[in-house]
Amino acid sequence: MRFQLFLALSLSCVCAAAAAAEEKVQLPAPSSSAQRLYSHAKADIVQLRSLLRNGRTQSSVGSGFLIGTGNLAVTNYHVMSQIALDPDTYVGEYVDTNGKRGEVKLLAVDVLHDLAVVSIDRKGGGFFNVPDQLPQLVQGQYLYSLGNPLDLGFAISEGAYNGIVNRSFYDQLMFTGPINSGMSGGPSVTVDGRVAGVNVSKRLDGELVSFLVPVRFVRDLLKKVAGQKQVPEDFKLVVGQQLLEHQKTMMERLEGTPLTFKELKPYKMPVWESDQVRCWGRSNSSQSKPYSIDQVNCAMESALFVSDRIQTGHISIQHKLLQSSELGVLRFSSLASNSFKNQGGGGHKDTRYTAPKCVEQFVTNEKLPMRAALCVRAYRKFPGLYDFTLHTASTDSGEMSLQSRIETSGVSYQSGLRIARIFLENAGRESKQ
Amino acid sequence: MNAPFYVEVLARNGEVRHRQRVDALPIRIGQGYDNDFILDDRHTSAHHAIIERNEAGGLEVIDLGSRNGVVHKGKRQARLTIDGNTVFRLGHTNLRVRAADFSVADEMRDTTFHYWEGLPPALTGLALMLSLALMNTWIADTEKAESIHYVTGLVGMLGIGLLWSGGWALANRLFGGQTRFGRHLFIAASGLVVIEIVSLLEALAAYAFSLEIFTRYGSHVAVAIAAGMVYFHLTTINPNSPRRRFAVVCALLFCLGSGMVLVVNFQSRGHLADELYMSELFSPGLRASSGKPVEQFIAESGQLEATVDAERSKVVSDEGEEDDED
Repeated sequence: MRFQLFLALSLSCVCAAAAAAEEKVQLPAPSSSAQRLYSHAKADIVQLRSLLRNGRTQSSVGSGFLIGTGNLAVTNYHVMSQIALDPDTYVGEYVDTNGKRGEVKLLAVDVLHDLAVVSIDRKGGGFFNVPDQLPQLVQGQYLYSLGNPLDLGFAISEGAYNGIVNRSFYDQLMFTGPINSGMSGGPSVTVDGRVAGVNVSKRLDGELVSFLVPVRFVRDLLKKVAGQKQVPEDFKLVVGQQLLEHQKTMMERLEGTPLTFKELKPYKMPVWESDQVRCWGRSNSSQSKPYSIDQVNCAMESALFVSDRIQTGHISIQHKLLQSSELGVLRFSSLASNSFKNQGGGGHKDTRYTAPKCVEQFVTNEKLPMRAALCVRAYRKFPGLYDFTLHTASTDSGEMSLQSRIETSGVSYQSGLRIARIFLENAGRESKQ
Repeated sequence: MNAPFYVEVLARNGEVRHRQRVDALPIRIGQGYDNDFILDDRHTSAHHAIIERNEAGGLEVIDLGSRNGVVHKGKRQARLTIDGNTVFRLGHTNLRVRAADFSVADEMRDTTFHYWEGLPPALTGLALMLSLALMNTWIADTEKAESIHYVTGLVGMLGIGLLWSGGWALANRLFGGQTRFGRHLFIAASGLVVIEIVSLLEALAAYAFSLEIFTRYGSHVAVAIAAGMVYFHLTTINPNSPRRRFAVVCALLFCLGSGMVLVVNFQSRGHLADELYMSELFSPGLRASSGKPVEQFIAESGQLEATVDAERSKVVSDEGEEDDED
């Protein structure tokens, strides 16, 4: 309570100081480069909307920018995802800074980097270009991000480029400036107007930590559009292929990373720990409880956005050690059984996935006997893609239970089995002494 | 047909509510106080009917011109020949007349355990229920022990048990003439205990031999036991009815309950089983089946692909769109 009061006080102090400063010091003139950039760029930025065909009410909005003097505009895949996956229900529309509206036609998508190319019925003014030779960015360099935040109106915001982040699966640029939803798909440019990247996301748990798709992926996608003889009829197939491609890269990346073993005494459980898959430990042994739980959670920090309701291409690993010498065998088995129970379900009516099916068995590798259940569900819209969940529980002790849950989403059947096999073969415990 | 005669007022279920001896014929019946048998029924006339001997030597009811008449098997009769088993209705009153020489049914064999009535079964049932509640709470209470859990467990079990047995006792009073609350309480308690024991055995068997079918469809066994419980409740209410009729009723109840379990499972989870996979874990000493090698488990999992793919091709309506769980 005292702490809160202190915090409130300190905040009000800051405000008073700021107000005082405002009175005395004259504000610097608005950044002339931002002014200049906006006035040049505004003709070539558009707001992209996906509308319900029925009634034409807007269902999601984002930004985009026209490339050169042509009629192609670049945006994020996630801005266009409804039109790509459900063209019977949704239709695209653009609004430019003069309020002109028109139809949007989807030409190509890149789900992995979250990009899309559309054509519209007007030409660009030639401000944004994506040449073969791309600008070299220096950390700390100013970038200007354009778009239509929260559907409030076109805006430009200023921030600094802060290097390439490799936490997500594919390279992204870190931009420490404000990006809000609605600015997705808008360009971020250098002070001399060269496109550096496409606004894509921000961290909700941080302040002004935003991410851009590097412009080289835009260049690659534009090249693909140029070479494309005809527009794909069904983008679901294209998305499905790209997801399969992603899972292949993901598997290669995972298998290229040596397994790390996390110790949950006396067990040694395998995880992949890398820049993309990060692990966190947790323990909740307390005096008041007659049992303790130690946990290791590892998860890939990013997932692929496919639609509002499907995020995929992800892996998460949880190892949980329950132990108690107080509870006794009967009550401990009740505790362990409850913990091993699955919470998820998913009926047969889900339009995204089939109902899960499982194979279950007692499984033994040389080191550890386990109860294992491997559950699989298929993606209805994307043939060849599955979600796998492997549940295991050690069966070597009446007072300890090591339970693991390995969830792999958006992988081929073979990849799913491979991951399950790797875990089953490598789970183990130190020799009993 | 010899005097004296007995006029009996019957309840709708055939039970005798009231019986009066009349020494000689004719028997005058009606609301009026100058009758031999007075009816306390506003729907009868002051002099409603008279019972006399007919030419054949039997008895006969004659309507004395009342408004509502003499009704037998739904039909109004001016004259009705009756014997000791004929039930006729005057207004709202069901009557039967028996002579002193009416031959009654043979003495029945007494199958009731008279010592197992009232308090002994009631107390045993209560004890069973309470120990079951305590046991369940104790097993599930893996957090820090709190006496409140035990109290709520006991009260909950007691409430449900008393309500259930109370309902049956009420039915027994209505249709069997006595409450037999203790018996019903005992039956309910035994049923619950059997369900508990059987489900524990199922879980053990499933774990020991890796026979998941036991826990996957365990709820049907519980439904069957509950249906059996209802059978015993019914025979307690009416021990003299043909048992087969009750058995059929309970079999139907079982089918209904089982069907409902299947439907609910399928609607909510997309499969008929109670669970996606067996979650019961016991201590390793209770395991009787050996672990399969990883290779074999993966091979079995590989065979699942065709099943999942077959599921994929089934068309889904957009209704499911609302069932978003993420």
